[in-house]
Amino acid sequence: MRLVSPATVLKQIAAAVPEDCRENIIIIGSLAAGYHFFGDNASLMVRTKDADCLLSPRIEAISAGVAVTERLFQRNWQFRPDAKWSTPGNESTPDDQLPAVRLNPPGVPEWFIELLTVPESPSDMNKRWVRLATSAGHFGLCSFGFLSLTNYQPISTPFGIAIARPELMALANLLEHPEIRPETMSGLIATREIKRSNKDLGRVLAIARLSVSRSEDALLDWPAIWQEAMQVRFPDNWRSFMGRTGAGLRQLLNRPNDLDEARHTCEHGLLASAPPTSEQLRLVGLRLLQDAIEPLERSGR
Amino acid sequence: MKNAKFVGERKFAGVDAEIGNRLIAMKPRVAALRSVRVALMQLAYALAERPASAGFLVLPDVSVTPERLRDEWRLASSVLRSDVLNRLSICTGEAEHLVGIPQDPDAETQRAISDLIAAAGPRASLSLARPEYPFTVMELLVHQWLLGKGPMTTKWLMETAGCSYPTVATVLRRFEHCLVRHSDRRVQLRAFPKEEWARLVAVSEKARGTVRFADRSGQPRSPDSLLLRLQHQDRKDIAVGGVVGARHYHPRLDIIGSPRLDISLHCPGKTADMSFIEKLDPALARTEKRDEPASVIVHLVRRADPLFQTGEAGLAWADPVECLFDLHEARLEPQAREFLNSFPTMKDQM
Repeated sequence: MRLVSPATVLKQIAAAVPEDCRENIIIIGSLAAGYHFFGDNASLMVRTKDADCLLSPRIEAISAGVAVTERLFQRNWQFRPDAKWSTPGNESTPDDQLPAVRLNPPGVPEWFIELLTVPESPSDMNKRWVRLATSAGHFGLCSFGFLSLTNYQPISTPFGIAIARPELMALANLLEHPEIRPETMSGLIATREIKRSNKDLGRVLAIARLSVSRSEDALLDWPAIWQEAMQVRFPDNWRSFMGRTGAGLRQLLNRPNDLDEARHTCEHGLLASAPPTSEQLRLVGLRLLQDAIEPLERSGR
Repeated sequence: MKNAKFVGERKFAGVDAEIGNRLIAMKPRVAALRSVRVALMQLAYALAERPASAGFLVLPDVSVTPERLRDEWRLASSVLRSDVLNRLSICTGEAEHLVGIPQDPDAETQRAISDLIAAAGPRASLSLARPEYPFTVMELLVHQWLLGKGPMTTKWLMETAGCSYPTVATVLRRFEHCLVRHSDRRVQLRAFPKEEWARLVAVSEKARGTVRFADRSGQPRSPDSLLLRLQHQDRKDIAVGGVVGARHYHPRLDIIGSPRLDISLHCPGKTADMSFIEKLDPALARTEKRDEPASVIVHLVRRADPLFQTGEAGLAWADPVECLFDLHEARLEPQAREFLNSFPTMKDQM
């Protein structure tokens, strides 16, 4: 993972995609969080390898995905091969085996753009692939789990594309990990193998810590927007989701080895400029539970 | 050194943390030797299975005397195998300075144990020594005088302080030179007792059992943020003092902001319920270091009637004399003087 300037990357993406597709793009993940918290400080960089672009609304995702992919190839963005895919798929490739749209900017191997979309319906929590047939080949547009929370009331940027609200990215990660699962990230994070749950829940803690740095009582405002977003996105089962919001985080805080993995990802990610100790990260988690998660869980009962 | 942390799932019964090759058992507020004995044996069992590890039984706030602990150690020494015994020790004292039996922990272990004690968070309950009634009675006399309440009966002093007639009578005799006794046997201060007040200020921290809490998150909460959370606790035994309290009584007090929140906790019994601290902020940990900036200072109000003033939005105010002590303890001497002189009864007194 390389250090990149969030504002520079956002500007570069916005400039490269078709103008009429910009409103369909919401940047999510560490780049969005980095832009939100220190986008105005050119000296602060984010360590990331991918710029996750969520295409929404779902009904426009395929057409926008095709248009964006076509335009990026026209502008010499490069398909990023990996161990499984050396080239894009074709019409005979099954939907669930298509490569994602992962493209490096011309001459910039440090980071790549990846296209995603929101699930088709509130009840569809599984990972799904929908085909993007472009002149450069066939790709899969992935949707899963709680991604639909991240396109709720996104924050616009001067570049014409939006970023997801950090507190809703945190909520999506909390709900995605009601327990610490054993699956690890496909690559190493600064020489260490890290469980995906620890990386994503570590992101939650990083967002909480950065939010508190900006406004010490920020976490007190989270339950209201969390509840609102869940009610809108999951009208049938928001209440049951509320009840499990803190389960994975509680597990993380009680497992020193997992917490240390989370700390490691923060140290090599969003909190690189002021890395916390494991104990400080644990205290961020306790504050988050007290200020945001427990009030939400109570109101869901 | 690896970070100190509590083990999530215990590999050994009675072992709370494993840091490098150190097994640490933590038993706060132990009052019975039997508990020490059981904990020592459990740690010894764990050490027998870990030949390369050292074991530390940490006893924060232990009530058992050092002599009795050393006696217990001698008994354990007589039955434990030397290869286990040589790797075992008991640690007592404050987090910043642990004393070991048979030897003090090395600096690295000392740091690791201090971190563990801090990670355990503020303890929910504190055992308290007997109240300092001479301090309490004199404080009440000053309180009534400052607020212009006039003379008071011995009965009122007994009931408000929560002590017996002989105790009040003894204190009043001691401060006879400061008192006016009325024909109906009521008493009051003759004037503001400058010298006695200076003595009270000098001992107030000890007499009031001040407990300090510091932030461990690296993101300390401001007094305003802490106040916001205090409002939601709905505790009748808590009141706000310090700069915030003094400004409630004297809004023109010449001070902007405050780096700490002073809280008065009413605890007339033998324990102080500190559970509100964790709700106030889980990042607060008790500190004994005077040079460490404290975010929250708790002053124990031991008398029967706390004399708290009911406030708005779920907050009560500590009485003005408590606030005055708080300003002195915070070394805000000009503000303390200004606050003291703001009481009408202080006109021409200093």
